[in-house]
Amino acid sequence: MSRTQAGAVSMPAQTVPIVITGVGLLTPLGDTLSALSGALQSGQTAFRDGQPREARIEDFDAARYAAVRGMRVYNRTTQLAICAVKRALDDARLDTSAELGERAGLVMASTFGHLDTLISYDRSLVSNGLARTNPALMPLALSSAPGAATALAFHLKAFSLTLSDGSAGALDALGLACRLLRTGRADSCVVVSAFSPSTELSQAAFRAGIITASPLASADGGNDTGFGEAAVALVLERPASAEARGVEPLGAICSQSSRFANDPGERWLRLGQACEDALQGSQLGAGELSLLSCEAQLAGQGARQALERLLEGSSAALTLGALLPALGETLDTGGLLQTVLALDQLRGDRSEAAGGPRKHALVCAASHTGACSALLLARG
Amino acid sequence: MSPRRVVITGCGLSTAAGGELQQFWRSLMAGTCHIHPLRTPSQVGLESAMGAEIELTEQELGSVEVGSGDGERGRCALLASLAAQRAWQDAGFRANEEECERAGLVLGTTLGEERQIGDLSQRWPAQEFSAIDESFFERSDNFRLAALIARALGLGGAVMLNATACSSGNAATAWAYDLIASGSSDVMLAGGADTLTRVTYCGFSRMSALSKSVCRPFDRQRDGVSFGEGAGLLVLEELEHARRRGARIYAELAGYGISNDAYHITAPEQSGEGFVRAMQQALATTSTALDDVSYISAHGTGTSYNDLGETSAIRTVFGARTSQIPVSSIKSMLGHTNGAASAIETIACALALNHQAIPPTANLNEPDPAFGSFDFVPGEGRAARLTTCLNLSAGFGGFNVCLVLKQAP
Repeated sequence: MSRTQAGAVSMPAQTVPIVITGVGLLTPLGDTLSALSGALQSGQTAFRDGQPREARIEDFDAARYAAVRGMRVYNRTTQLAICAVKRALDDARLDTSAELGERAGLVMASTFGHLDTLISYDRSLVSNGLARTNPALMPLALSSAPGAATALAFHLKAFSLTLSDGSAGALDALGLACRLLRTGRADSCVVVSAFSPSTELSQAAFRAGIITASPLASADGGNDTGFGEAAVALVLERPASAEARGVEPLGAICSQSSRFANDPGERWLRLGQACEDALQGSQLGAGELSLLSCEAQLAGQGARQALERLLEGSSAALTLGALLPALGETLDTGGLLQTVLALDQLRGDRSEAAGGPRKHALVCAASHTGACSALLLARG
Repeated sequence: MSPRRVVITGCGLSTAAGGELQQFWRSLMAGTCHIHPLRTPSQVGLESAMGAEIELTEQELGSVEVGSGDGERGRCALLASLAAQRAWQDAGFRANEEECERAGLVLGTTLGEERQIGDLSQRWPAQEFSAIDESFFERSDNFRLAALIARALGLGGAVMLNATACSSGNAATAWAYDLIASGSSDVMLAGGADTLTRVTYCGFSRMSALSKSVCRPFDRQRDGVSFGEGAGLLVLEELEHARRRGARIYAELAGYGISNDAYHITAPEQSGEGFVRAMQQALATTSTALDDVSYISAHGTGTSYNDLGETSAIRTVFGARTSQIPVSSIKSMLGHTNGAASAIETIACALALNHQAIPPTANLNEPDPAFGSFDFVPGEGRAARLTTCLNLSAGFGGFNVCLVLKQAP
């Protein structure tokens, strides 16, 4: 559906790709894709002595990245999201302050992005009473607040949505954004995720065994990790929109699929099914992949076996939990980090393997609550 | 490829007007207001407060399906799970049957299990971090609401939790619609749930947007929102799939329109231009002519800003036809149930099409003349010839959704 077209929305098949035209990111290991890739390749870790459970972005100053009215009222997660989106929009050379705003939307993956504000607001109500509590905090305590504030900052008027699917959320958000673009709800969409753990959340995660006290001490990285702070944003566009603007895509999203695991024992089965669905959605086989990347909480041998079965007969590389030792558990943001790194790898793939360089990567993630998501990418 | 057609084959509710569909409908049509003084206003941080509370019976509590390893359910999870089970049974499905393998769920909420944050705040002065136990992480994760439902029913398809404030229910329904229309699924559960929370009561009170008595949508003397708790879940199904199994079809979900005000973090854009864009997109993408629309279920919160902006938007879209289209707000009877509201209102629209009758706006004594000429269906519901209904919603931050429902094909 274009602005001038009336009538029923046509539903293009998932094989119609949506292109990625901009990337913005902030991590403890750098705020550009090249810096992050270089740090990962050289084996750096974001964990520092003295911050055993959390890897933070040092000296973060939102004003360095974006001049947005009201920024100082927002929590750190929202500020990170805004800064990542600014960098992504600049990378895509997209200015949404003008009429483009009505044809540009936002999807945010955020499960805990509002939690610190919610806790702070409610605690103030109990401790200080209603009359002495800042009224401006309440709207920012809602789970939709980080996304709403980010869309407001950049006049994104097509839609503003938030998904809270945990570690599978970012890939689900990319899938949702693609569906909205394919059906003409917008010409471009920013997909963003940001994670900055509150002290309460870190404490809770430690008690629940989600993170460990000493990630630096974990020799193999495995499942022993702390929380990592990060923010990533991608600009997605309909191919015609990117072409009209003369922007060369960084890559494309071919298809996305989600499944749910009803008990922990079937999580890797469902993740594998999500991957198969994503491949079938684009009528591709595993043999056409160069990379399968998986970030999953508590991943281990079960995940490896399930994914190796999927790749039987394929020469694709399998990476499992590669980001955990370096960046830690970034929850919702992990899927976007995987996606940009997979894109980077596809673009750099000049292998002379039989049949020439592969053009596709499959990225998948599973949350500890059962959500499983897979995304098929193509080189730009 | 033309989109596949989507129909509503199951409805499930937890509301102050009851959870049984016919009981709920009769209550709406009678214009019965369920907003009363709260039994324990201190739970929402006020000395006195009005709201629409749900009294769950022991039978209802005992009927909630529980999966292994689920742990204790909070209030929001109970309401959502009950509504989901009711919707699934209403559609003629059973838990864990073959149909569940590819069926999914999109659930919306504003604050989820907010009471556990309240518990933390109460214990914090004495215990601080000791008040945080190993279950806090999972309970703070709103996705758990969706996961509990999915596990109880054995759903294996896409399961998502969407947070778009007071548009969460409609947004969830819209994404579920897309998954079916595009061929990713044949059956989806969709809807929303929320409870009465200290955060919203105190927040709205501080903004002078909380009604001192009962909300009066569209009334000249309206003074703000009244809150309610609740959950509304729908079973959406691909049309041919529903026909093949002989399912009862309440209505067709023809499509939707969406927009974002991007105006202010709380206040709606006063001209209602966001509502206008959402409605226009909904009408255009579903090939619905202005003359086809026979009823509008309004967002109708009873605040000064919302009601003015919303009626302005309706007038902009429908022009001279405005006064001929009944517009009502069932929040006047159920309170504003936040993330559940628009899902409950979608169910009301489906029932309206089924019964060929329109629910009223309660507590309406004198419509605000600033709106111009509108038919707000005051007092009691009435019979009507209905073919197409619109369900409008708006959330904090300005996200607007307009669903289009049509008579069952």
